[in-house]
Amino acid sequence: MNQTLTTVAMALALLAGPQAYADTGKLLLTGGVSSIDGAAGGGLTPWAVIGSNATEGEIGATAYVTRASTQDYSLTGFGAAVGFNERFELSLARQDFDASPSVALNGIAAFGISPGEHLKMDIVGLKVRVAGDAVLDSDSLMPQIAVGLEYKAVSPGSLSSVLNFLGTSTTGTDVYISATKLFLAQSLLVNGTLRYTNANQNGLLGFGSGAPGKSTMSLVPEFSVAYLLSKYVAIGAEYRVKPNNLEALGRAAGLGDALAEDDWKDIFVAWAPNKNASVTLAYVDLGRIVPGVTGGRKQTGFYVSAQLAF
Amino acid sequence: MKKLKLFTLTFTVAVNLLVTVPVLAQNNLTTAVQSDALFKTFGEKAGLVRLMDDFMVRLVADARTGPFFKDSNLKLVKSQLVDQFCVLIGGGCPYKGDTMKEVHGGMKIKKSDFNALVELLQLSMDAQSIPFTAQNQLLAKLAPMHRDTITVH
Repeated sequence: MNQTLTTVAMALALLAGPQAYADTGKLLLTGGVSSIDGAAGGGLTPWAVIGSNATEGEIGATAYVTRASTQDYSLTGFGAAVGFNERFELSLARQDFDASPSVALNGIAAFGISPGEHLKMDIVGLKVRVAGDAVLDSDSLMPQIAVGLEYKAVSPGSLSSVLNFLGTSTTGTDVYISATKLFLAQSLLVNGTLRYTNANQNGLLGFGSGAPGKSTMSLVPEFSVAYLLSKYVAIGAEYRVKPNNLEALGRAAGLGDALAEDDWKDIFVAWAPNKNASVTLAYVDLGRIVPGVTGGRKQTGFYVSAQLAF
Repeated sequence: MKKLKLFTLTFTVAVNLLVTVPVLAQNNLTTAVQSDALFKTFGEKAGLVRLMDDFMVRLVADARTGPFFKDSNLKLVKSQLVDQFCVLIGGGCPYKGDTMKEVHGGMKIKKSDFNALVELLQLSMDAQSIPFTAQNQLLAKLAPMHRDTITVH
């Protein structure tokens, strides 16, 4: 399944790329960059924009690689997206999360976690623009609005014993609505996304929780602002509220806040030297991630992502 | 029945908001700079003439936009563009040309063509050393014209 997804993603990128290369006509950076889940947007959150350089009547594609590293964890991600007619977006993403600190859980119970374990997650995303034009409707407050879903499947490896203990599911689907507006005269882009999800740490720690944790879906907001310094460079910040499904379960098990989850934040700079390439650098604050095995440390660090677009 | 009424009311309010907010916003969103400050930034009438001299060359030369101008009286188009931009950025010149709908109605213009024109205008403004923030203030006034300019969706 995992191998297949990756192969399909690469094949899509190769197929759609050269064919659409000649005549795609979006303005620079107006397709956003690739979010960690593969959908076009900011770094941590999807936007209402449809990925790639393709505008009406065109098909375009993007491919990306992302690397993020904090005090105790690191994540490598890659994926591809296809944009149709500036209306539909299909995205595929693979995340590889270095969960090495989790081996400490073997000290709590006989979980049998292998040293240096990695969690892998595959994400299939669909997005549809339902109204508005984020860029050209500069005389009204009407944003571009899109709805989307992200189907996520995590492969926990030897951590499956932990996910079972926590009562989480290994698959889940996030549903979201995004509104994106470029205030062109002010060179300012604003996005708001509402996500309906029961993912723990975006799904890397499964979905939902055994009682007394929260197993139901939550509606959580996400915000991005970006200021255009030039045609080629945007700086901005993001804030993503997260459900905190597992903490109550950890407390009931006498582990205190060992399983607490915090909101994600970042400040970023995105640079697109031309229509076909962009690089995003960010400083991320992911809050606590399983603080029980990381001395309660906040996870902060750098995020770099490169995207090719056609 | 009560529910239906409530729905109708909510819907009406929502539609009203959608319609009125943009109208209210029209005055604020596109006129970050009041008066003739933007006109001055663009070098007044002489600056606009220089900008259009550069812009027309690019429009005609570019494979994406050139075909739209092959039967045009370039001198006339240029002077009309100068007047139109002058009005848009607070220069108070009289624009006597046809409306955007009249000019573009007979052409097959796609969104990618419209965006290509914006790109070339950005290059021309760069060449005239017009600051990026001022460029976007002009573009914010031009962009809504997509409704009367793009004829093929």
